[in-house]
Amino acid sequence: MSHDAMLDAKGLNCPLPILRAKKAISELSSGQVLKIVATDPGSVKDFEAFCKQTGNTLLSSAEAGGAFEFMIKKS
Amino acid sequence: MTKRLNAEERRESIINVAKRLFAQKGFHGVSIDEIVRTVGVSPSILYRHFKSKEDLYAAVLHEFSCTRESYVDTVVNEDTSFEYMLRGMTRVFVNSIVNQPDLLKMEMHSQLEGHDASGEFFLNRWKSFTDYIEFNLSELMAQGKVASINVTAAALMYQAMIREVLLLKCLQPNERFKDTPIETLVDELITLFMKTINFKK
Repeated sequence: MSHDAMLDAKGLNCPLPILRAKKAISELSSGQVLKIVATDPGSVKDFEAFCKQTGNTLLSSAEAGGAFEFMIKKS
Repeated sequence: MTKRLNAEERRESIINVAKRLFAQKGFHGVSIDEIVRTVGVSPSILYRHFKSKEDLYAAVLHEFSCTRESYVDTVVNEDTSFEYMLRGMTRVFVNSIVNQPDLLKMEMHSQLEGHDASGEFFLNRWKSFTDYIEFNLSELMAQGKVASINVTAAALMYQAMIREVLLLKCLQPNERFKDTPIETLVDELITLFMKTINFKK
């Protein structure tokens, strides 16, 4: 899946990953996609809740090699 | 007739009773006998779920130490500047202890005993603050918006301040602070912290 911006939040505990994602998304235009890589297991639930509350779309949420990858499309 | 519990429900009911007793009396103050009497089961049923008292204690500590707070509401709804976010996050964290002081009690037990779970308490609970403070202070320092400081020490200082308030208000109520609500104490400490690091809005 292609993306327009990428955020590396590895090693950081929530809320820092969602907070940085919020800033990164604010710099995107509607329809653009942000890819986030995080290692905090709490980020899975947090990104779901974040997208639900902000109206952005969580295109995918996957785990690979101890890291979590999220694709979020700006509404 | 009471409903028969399935294995998972039974395990959960034992853990819930053990959580309360261990938090009140510590590991050595509680016997297996007291736990089974309080739950209302025979020792053999308890041993079916937990090999030993140590095993049950570890399960209890694990439940407490893996209790995480969600800061999504704070991120979504609040002004995300450093001071607002830190105040919002701290409010969420402090409320969690006000509502469940056993969380802090068990963390302290685990630290005194040198139990592995003390590391989990840090990773699941406090690291949100140290990461947040260290990351932001480094950024703010580069922009000249805070004094030149050791960000790790500042994060540690913040953690110690909040811990002390929680201790004084939730675990060992102190005469001297009894008329000051916890929210006020926390708010004023944050103001003091911002002054100390010479934070410029």
